[in-house]
Amino acid sequence: MSAIDLVDIHKTYKGKVKALRGVSLDVNEGEIYGLLGPNGAGKSTLVKIIMTVIHATRASGTVLGLPIGDVRGLKQIGYLPEHHRFPEYLTGTQVLHFYSALCGVERSTRKKRAASLLDRLGLQGWGRKRINTYSKGMLQRLGIAQALMNNPKLLILDEPTDGVDPVGRREIRDLLSELKAEGHAIFLNSHLLSELEMVCDRVAIMVKGKVTMQGTIDSLTNESKRIEIEIDCTPPEWTHSVFDKVDGQTMTKLGDNTSTVQPMIDRLRSEQCAIRSIKPVRESLEDLFMRAVDYIDNPGSHGENK
Amino acid sequence: MTVFKALLIDAYRQLSAAKLFWLTLGLSGLVVVLYGSIGFNDEGVTLLFGLFDVESEFITAGSPWARGFYLGIYSYFLVTIWLAWVATILALISTCSIFPDFVCAGSIELSLSKPISRLRLFLMKYLVSMLFVMLQVSVFCLGIFLCVGLRLGEWNWMIFVAIPIVTVFYSYLFAVTVFVGMVTKSGIAALLVTGVFWMALFSVGASEGILTSVVTSQEVQIERYQEGIEKQQAILDEIIAKSPEDFRIESKQSRIDEMKTDNEASVEFLGKIRAWQEPISWILTALPKTAQTIGLLDRWLSSDDGFDLGAIMRGDMSELEEVEEIDPTNHWAVQRETEKRVQDEYDGRSLWYVIGTSLIFEGFILGLASLIFCRRDF
Repeated sequence: MSAIDLVDIHKTYKGKVKALRGVSLDVNEGEIYGLLGPNGAGKSTLVKIIMTVIHATRASGTVLGLPIGDVRGLKQIGYLPEHHRFPEYLTGTQVLHFYSALCGVERSTRKKRAASLLDRLGLQGWGRKRINTYSKGMLQRLGIAQALMNNPKLLILDEPTDGVDPVGRREIRDLLSELKAEGHAIFLNSHLLSELEMVCDRVAIMVKGKVTMQGTIDSLTNESKRIEIEIDCTPPEWTHSVFDKVDGQTMTKLGDNTSTVQPMIDRLRSEQCAIRSIKPVRESLEDLFMRAVDYIDNPGSHGENK
Repeated sequence: MTVFKALLIDAYRQLSAAKLFWLTLGLSGLVVVLYGSIGFNDEGVTLLFGLFDVESEFITAGSPWARGFYLGIYSYFLVTIWLAWVATILALISTCSIFPDFVCAGSIELSLSKPISRLRLFLMKYLVSMLFVMLQVSVFCLGIFLCVGLRLGEWNWMIFVAIPIVTVFYSYLFAVTVFVGMVTKSGIAALLVTGVFWMALFSVGASEGILTSVVTSQEVQIERYQEGIEKQQAILDEIIAKSPEDFRIESKQSRIDEMKTDNEASVEFLGKIRAWQEPISWILTALPKTAQTIGLLDRWLSSDDGFDLGAIMRGDMSELEEVEEIDPTNHWAVQRETEKRVQDEYDGRSLWYVIGTSLIFEGFILGLASLIFCRRDF
């Protein structure tokens, strides 16, 4: 069963601003799904529609098997909003108790989970301190702990590593991997492409209210896979006909099948041409992202996207 | 229940973190101490724990007037001035930003993403926001209860009726604060508009009160004129029957004509005043009746035997009856009768009229605010 199965979501704000123009996507149980997009793409609007914070103009689909917008489904969802603000008069433990109580979690369970999550998120010893003494990174960790207090089946995190230092980011990545292993579905909304690349099973790229690409990173970057050979001499004439691209002393063969370049390597060597490097190259998520953004801006300048 | 309890505890934490909450509580404590410092002895009233003495013939230790006086200070002044004005202003300042803070970006997402319907969340948040007033008034009433018990030897549980009364009174205003807070997302704007609304309510209520007094006064005056005319006519008829040439006939007839003219002028004036009083009464019916809601406490605390602060202030401790016997149209006699009738008129207004219609207005404003809350994209 899909944790999230959205079909044709539309949102038009007052003033006819179209934030979402028919978004469809699905997130499987037990996977980490990343949503990418430039500012104003409609990512937060989509997340807020899932969390019932915003009403969709038109929507169908399900979240954890219940129709989108059904608040009953929220009982099994943990959510960390972007730029969240906890009441400053509360301590860390009180924050966890308060928001999980709104979820209907019983006091005894809250007590156990709060202590355990504060430890797990590296906030041990801070539970009794008011949150106005917390750093931004600590608030972010507390926010993640808050999202986990109801032991959710689905975790929706909007910019979870915002303001977190590199060590903290790694810890959060490790935590996400652990949660995935425990069977939680995780929906990540982030600008940090390198981080998403490290943890996500699948990604969707949203631009101007539409999902332009969706799939595993491997499948999305498949057509960009190539082998690059760099040599020390001027490329012989024949290389122009067998390689897909020759640029200076670098020759490129599309695809990731290494056997296709073996005869060419042998021939270069036999012609006393020294080989400096041979490397398989794949488009990074950042390249993919830029391509998606560029495609929306200039639809005629590229091939068909997935 | 878990959700309501969580919101209630959160509301308490929010209030207890605010200095104004403790300041208000401290000031309430001071008012209670000052109240407790009033005592009675055989000569009259003592103030500031016996530091000053005020002699009184009637208000002495153990007298029914002492009871009426002491409870009257509570219901007339402490509740009407302290709780219904000063403490309410402090409460509005403390709570005006509760809803704007609740719906601000970054905060509302955390609450709306929980499995509670928006309407339920809104109404529960509204109810727990009354905690400030409820706590303040409860502590205040407890202090007053102890003072009355120790000073009068009377453990009057009716004192605690001020808790629901003041809370309901405050809720009329807070509904407007919430509505404006929802629309503008600004605590300051909510406070200012509530202040203006409160003044408007006060003006309408005061106008209605003044016009009711004037109407009643004219009615009393007309009754007295008619009684006087009938009485004078009877005397005149008797004189004419005895001696048709009596020298007093002309002056009596002149007096009767004068009274008839005055009566006609009063009837005409009454008609004009009623043309104003009736629409204002209708307007007031549709609005929250703040003063009358607070006035309920005095109605319920006053003793049936008439020994209350109202009677003391009207001068009922001394006899005014002879004034009425000399001339029923005498200004003081008319005023006294008017005050009694106006008081009876207000005391006769039903709980439905005072609180029920006010709650309908509150419900309407809250309905609008909840509609905005439920439909808004945050």
